[in-house]
Amino acid sequence: MKNSIVFLLLGLLVGGQAFVLWHDNASMVSRSSDAMRMIHVQPMFQGKKVVLDEQMRSQGGDPLKLNTLRFYLSNFVFLKNGAVVFEEKNSFHLLDLEDENTLDLKFDALEGRDFDGLRFKLGIDSLTHISGAMGGDLDPTKGMFWTWQSGYINFKLEGTFKKCPTRNHEFQFHLGGYLAPFQSVQSVQVKIPKGENLVLQLDLSPFFDQVDWVKKYSIMSPCKESVEVSKVLANSFSVHAE
Amino acid sequence: MRNRCIKFSLLLLLAFGLVSYTIPAWIGDPIELKIPKNWPKPTYDFSRNPLTKEGVELGRRLFYDPFLSRNDMISCSNCHLSFTAFTHVDHALSHGIEDRIGTRNSPALMNLAWGRHFMWDGAIDHLDFQALAPIAHPAEMDNSIEKVVQKIQSKPVYKELFFNAFGDSTVSGERLLKALSQFELTLISANSKYDRMILGQDTFTDQEQNGYRLFQKSCASCHTEPLFTNLGFERNGLPIDTTLNDYGRMKITKQPPDSLKFKVPTLRNIEFSYPYMHDGRFKKLREVVNHYAQTTALERKIDLSPNEKVDLVAFLLTLSDKAFLFNPDFSFPRF
Repeated sequence: MKNSIVFLLLGLLVGGQAFVLWHDNASMVSRSSDAMRMIHVQPMFQGKKVVLDEQMRSQGGDPLKLNTLRFYLSNFVFLKNGAVVFEEKNSFHLLDLEDENTLDLKFDALEGRDFDGLRFKLGIDSLTHISGAMGGDLDPTKGMFWTWQSGYINFKLEGTFKKCPTRNHEFQFHLGGYLAPFQSVQSVQVKIPKGENLVLQLDLSPFFDQVDWVKKYSIMSPCKESVEVSKVLANSFSVHAE
Repeated sequence: MRNRCIKFSLLLLLAFGLVSYTIPAWIGDPIELKIPKNWPKPTYDFSRNPLTKEGVELGRRLFYDPFLSRNDMISCSNCHLSFTAFTHVDHALSHGIEDRIGTRNSPALMNLAWGRHFMWDGAIDHLDFQALAPIAHPAEMDNSIEKVVQKIQSKPVYKELFFNAFGDSTVSGERLLKALSQFELTLISANSKYDRMILGQDTFTDQEQNGYRLFQKSCASCHTEPLFTNLGFERNGLPIDTTLNDYGRMKITKQPPDSLKFKVPTLRNIEFSYPYMHDGRFKKLREVVNHYAQTTALERKIDLSPNEKVDLVAFLLTLSDKAFLFNPDFSFPRF
């Protein structure tokens, strides 16, 4: 009888741990199985991968350097012939070129599903803006929330570009705004080719070509220009299979 | 026998494991805010931030903690003192860290669960995000939410308070802001003489009654009962102060029709929230009433005789709520 009590207590201890371990392992397995699909997000410039703090040259040959590139992608929906096959819940991703891990978007529960299209938003939608403080990638400590005026910064790009008539040729684009008429969040829809390793490219070349660098090198509040520039960026996404 | 025992203990274990895994984190004693009779439904979505005794206590502690500022000197209560309707009296423009002076008069805090916009120009659209502004403003706390989270995380006393409120001791921006909101949401003022009169528990003097009649005729379209604000933005006829050039709402919307519009403040506890207007240009209630009786810049001219002005002020004084101002649950917490 004594033995059985010892067994019982021991069992309780070990078993509790075992369950937790089993539970964790089970969820780990499902994360790395075929059910999960990964999309790598890759910012590009002039046909090359963007590397922070590395000198690049624009089409016109002007040197430029990026120090910060951070942006939100949200509300991911996978499509087949225009119909929804998978919609990610709580779909908010803060991508930061400083942290490689944030560039790999993992989607559970896509197993056996065939898709040929992807819809998402560049930035954070208005409803989320008025829902109060949130955690995770939306936590206001992420440096992507304005303090003096409510609103997420949808897209942050900072660096230096020879064409900027500013001190040290610095530029800052903090694009955001969720109230009319300056709603900057943009819907993006792209085709997905067949293939295993999917890469969602954001080509920054059109942005650098279309901005009037002599006049516009700094956006830090919701405005007309923020909407215009956000549209250019939204049209610069494409998916490739490697 | 041993086999049965093992089987039994395994079974128990599994049950124990499952149970312990499915119980949600304990988040304290729920509090239900008492909504005053005949008031509208609060605009704050409590389902996203359910009030608990522990959450409110944590929020109160943060509200009164100067640790939130860069130099550990300025707390929320510096500009929002409970005994003076949670505002900064005596100073036209409120001052913060190192006596730096801001550009506006700090607003009185009360009945925030009904607020849609915060700050004089409505720059903030949700109570949760309001605290980000004074934390970061160089003339207020001159800090950043990132640093505040780090500081609070390193202060041992908060480990327990966060644990009690959220089920674990991790500090995050979300939790910090939600706790502050929880405390601020409890700041309900609805026990003035006016409120008791409405409920039939008190009576107005003839003078107060006449002031109430004048108020309803001339002021209530903006300062709408029972909150004594229509929660909107209005032009109040004040000429621009060229030393500040504050155009109010237009700064946020960038729309010319919003020029010189400011958020309509509540008139509750106005006896205690002097000086008045967005830039604190009037020290006395009398001056405010004189302004409105003189200005020709309003949509409708307000005509008040000298006696009527006195009656109107007498009515405004019935909006003072001593039970609110001296509520021990709202004042500096005993650490």
